[in-house]
Parts: sequence; C-alpha cells; structure tokens
Amino acid sequence: MHIDDFGMDTITLAGDLRAKLRAVREAGFGQIMLSARDLVGHPDGWRAAVSEVKASGLRVTGFQVLRDFEGLSGHLHEYKVDIAKGMLEMCHALGSTVLLACSSTSQHAGSDPDDLARDLRKLATLAVPLGIQVAYEGLSWGRHINEVTTAWDVVCRADRANLGLCIDSYHVLAAKTPLDVIDTIDPQKIFLVQLSDFLWNEVPSFEERMNTARHFRVFPGEGVHTDGVAEIVMRLDRMGYRGDYSFEVFNDDYQGLPLPTVAQRARRSAVWLAEGILRRSTPLPNRMRLRGTS
Amino acid sequence: MSQQPSNREAIDDPPNPLGLDGIEFIEFSTRRPQALGQVLEAMGFRPIARHRSREVLLYRQGSMNIVINAHAEGLPEAVQPGEAPEIAAIALRVRDAGAAWRRAIALGGWAVPAQPEPMELHIPALHGVGRSRLYLVDRYREFSIYDVDFVPIPTVDPHPPAVTGLHWFGVVQYVGLDRLDDWTEFYGELFGFAALPEDTRFGILPRGRVLASPCGQFYLQLIEPELDAVDADPDETLHRIAFGTPDVRAAVRELTRRGVAFVESSGVHTEDRGALTQASLGGVAFELVYHPSPAA
Repeated sequence: MHIDDFGMDTITLAGDLRAKLRAVREAGFGQIMLSARDLVGHPDGWRAAVSEVKASGLRVTGFQVLRDFEGLSGHLHEYKVDIAKGMLEMCHALGSTVLLACSSTSQHAGSDPDDLARDLRKLATLAVPLGIQVAYEGLSWGRHINEVTTAWDVVCRADRANLGLCIDSYHVLAAKTPLDVIDTIDPQKIFLVQLSDFLWNEVPSFEERMNTARHFRVFPGEGVHTDGVAEIVMRLDRMGYRGDYSFEVFNDDYQGLPLPTVAQRARRSAVWLAEGILRRSTPLPNRMRLRGTS
Repeated sequence: MSQQPSNREAIDDPPNPLGLDGIEFIEFSTRRPQALGQVLEAMGFRPIARHRSREVLLYRQGSMNIVINAHAEGLPEAVQPGEAPEIAAIALRVRDAGAAWRRAIALGGWAVPAQPEPMELHIPALHGVGRSRLYLVDRYREFSIYDVDFVPIPTVDPHPPAVTGLHWFGVVQYVGLDRLDDWTEFYGELFGFAALPEDTRFGILPRGRVLASPCGQFYLQLIEPELDAVDADPDETLHRIAFGTPDVRAAVRELTRRGVAFVESSGVHTEDRGALTQASLGGVAFELVYHPSPAA
C-alpha cells in the first residue's frame, strides 16, 4: 500500500505525545506533523519530546504554527521575531525542514503586500542557517491574506528560495477559491499540502470558517467536500507536486475516541486518496529519491 | 539634451551595503592548538601574539591573520573545541561594525551574544553556517583589534612577509543538498554577495557555486554533497580556506620545501591554476588558487 506521502497531524489526536506517535505508526503512517504544544507541553521538557519523536522512527512532516508574524511594526514585530526564533530552534531540533507560518489575523497588522513580503523574507533568512523552509498559508479568516491567491502573491514578492506555500484544502474550499487558480502556482514552491474535509456546505463568514476549522473538520472523503478535496489533490499531482500531504483535521469528536480508531479513519482516507484518486502503485523496494523530479 | 547625463539603464555601483572591505581574520577552533599551529607555520604563518585572557593565538603572514582558539573554559561540552580543527569564524571588515550588525539583524541574521572579559573588545557577531560565526570588525585602519585583546610574543616580527605572495582568496562552505539558493540569498541579503555565473571556476576543483564579495576582495564557494553521499554527508560547515598566489608552481615548490604535501591524483593535482594540500589533523586542507594580487 503506497501511503508514504500521507501523514497525520498530532492535533487530531487526544492523549500524550508518546501515545500519538504510537497510534500513527501502528496505523501504517511514516510521517507526522507536530505542533509546538506537543513539545513544550511534554512533562519532561521539550528536548525529551524531541527524543521521543526521533525514537518513534516517524519522519516529521513539518512543525506548526507561527501565527500573526507578518505586518507588525515596532515592539510587536520584535516580539514576534523572538517567537519565530524559538519555533525555528524547536523545528530544527526535531529534524523538521518545514515551518508552517499562517497569515496574520491581527488587527495590528498592516495590509501592504510589500511590507508583508519583507517580513516573510526576514523569516526566511532567519530559517536559512537552520536548514528550514517556511511554508506560508493563507487562513480563510486572515485579516488581509485569506486566500491561496493572495498568499501566493506575497510569497512571489518576497522571492526567497526557502519561502513557499502551504495549501490547506479547508481554506481553499471554505473561501470558495476557484480550484483552477492552483494551476497558476509553481509546484516547486508548494512546501506542504494539508488536507481535510468538513461537514457543512457553506461557511460564508470569517467567524463560521474559524469555528468550523477548529472543531468540525473530518478526514478527506468523510465530509461533504469529497469532490473538491479529490480535485485539489489531482490538480496538484498533475502539475507535478510530489511533496507531502498532511491531514490537518481538528475535530472535537475525534478527541474523544480511542487513538487507534481515529488513526484507522485516517488510514482509510489515505488509502482512498493514494489508490482511488492518485492511483499510486506499490513502490519498488529501496525506492530512490531523485532530485528535481517533476 | 538635458544638462545632466542621465542614467538611462539605471546602472548602480556594485552594492556594498556594509562597506565590506575584506577578511580581517579567520578563526579555527581546536583542542590541539599546537598541532594546528605547526600546520599553519608550514603554510608560512608565524605566531605573533597571545590573547590576554583565553587560550587563543594569533598567526599572521602578509595581510592574513588566523586565530587559533582552544578556549574551552566555562563552555558547555557541546560547544567546546573538538579534536579536529574546524573553521569557527570569519571576521569581515566593515565600515561601521555596530551599524552593519544592526542592519544584518534587522534583515534576519541571528545575533551571537558576546562575552568579553573586562577591558576586552566587544566584537559584534552573527551566527553563520553550522556552528560558525561571522564577526564584524571596523577597527583595522588606525589601530587593530589585536592591540587591545592580544599581547605580542616578544622578539617576533609582528609583520612576517607572505610566502610567494599568499593572500586571502576565499572560503569554501559545504552546504546541504538543494541548499545553494538558500545560502546564496543569505549572503546576498545580509552582506551583498553576488553569485557568479554557474560555470565560473577558479583553481583546480571542479564543483560549486562561487559568490563574490561586494568589495571584490574574496569569494565564498558553496559546495553541495555528491548525490550518492547525501545521507552520509549532510553537514554544513566552513570547510577550507583558499589562498591566492600570483605563481602557484612557485608557491607549491616553496611550501613543499617547508614540508607541506599536495594532492597529486589523476583528478586533482597541481596545475598553473591551483593546487590542494593533503588534509591533515582530520580534515584541514588549504587550496591555492592562481590570483595575481588582492584587489585594492
């Protein structure tokens, strides 16, 4: 079964880090997306959490999430730079090469796209010595950047090799962004794809989008946007995206179910996408990773 | 016709935002300073001064200063110098070190907290590749940083001449796979380095991307791992120093006479364009590159 490109996200699961790592591994996944909270909330400290992750054998898809970074000035900017540095250091310690940064929701953030680009450029420069790529994601309730189109515009303006996009199917579908705009994005600049479905047909207001995103997401194929998620994945695959797909599923009900039960749901979703949508075949043993694949 | 000649093509002077002006010194860290000192002496350097408070020695030849830092006291185990010498820092000459440092921090450099002893200089520093640092030095004209922090070794000529015109040519940095663009942008953004065309080669070694300093006085060369060695060789480090010389063959003759051995394999061997010393002490090698003289 070829689900190597798919991974779970710790935010979906209840329990402590060790239990999450075990459930994800036992469901057959090879990678996991981690949150800062997984590390700093560890009873033995964040370095102990890093050791647990390394011992699990799971590859770290990415580390999340830096919020409200861009568009600030003065002491607010300085403060956020400090936060960003702390997150970059944890990300680096984990051996993760992707830091997720989502678009600002702050009312203190400016709107000039060149200012936003300048700040992301600085974040990217900070990330270079640590070998980290910054994946910028437009939240569908972001104050100024709330669609993949505007997020891509800012990434292009910043023009840094280690700054790219995170595309989250939830935000694309919630904001009703026409899916053909995905084709205008350079696949080499998509550093992460997060997938989820959700249970409502319409989420018109920012308030509803935020609420739905944080409580009512489900795995791809489990909600009412199955066709949309499948089309996003097919478009990305067709244009040459060969990176990771992470299930970004915030769901209160899943937080109340046994971890193996939730992980099996994730696995069903991964198999559906890998075999039913992408028609992936079983990989050859010792699969070589070639550079510059497209 | 306008009175003033217009700049139709908007051609600016080469940007040198920090007033970069060459390399002030390069620092090695090692637990075996005498062993590295011997290697440097064979290459023509002479020990000329000791640090006032730390186990640090200053070597010099011609315009080049190399600092050997064996200081371990009070440092956490993880950052103490190891057996094998490593290039721990490059000190860049700039117009105004404080201003240059603030500008680099504002653009996304990482500050290194300085820990000078009383009466020692505070040299502003940034984190570089791996564990290395980039110092910014502006006191190199009227008096030097060594006047404050170092005590001259008695009876030694403080200005030993360069062997066959050796001078800084550049530093080779190993980078991770697909990391050429990241580091090119890092040095471009913070210091104004510019990548030369991909096929630009100096010396005899065949690989890597060359970045020219905005002052025109030295180069950085970025080298990715071989594709089949990616897993075995993921490290990013400052790997070796390259010296320029107007006569590579004469330099090789003189250095060989002093006991330096050169690589003479079918792939890499002494030519008019350059030469490479055999690695010693767990990886210390120097490259010679044909280069008439340092740019003014």
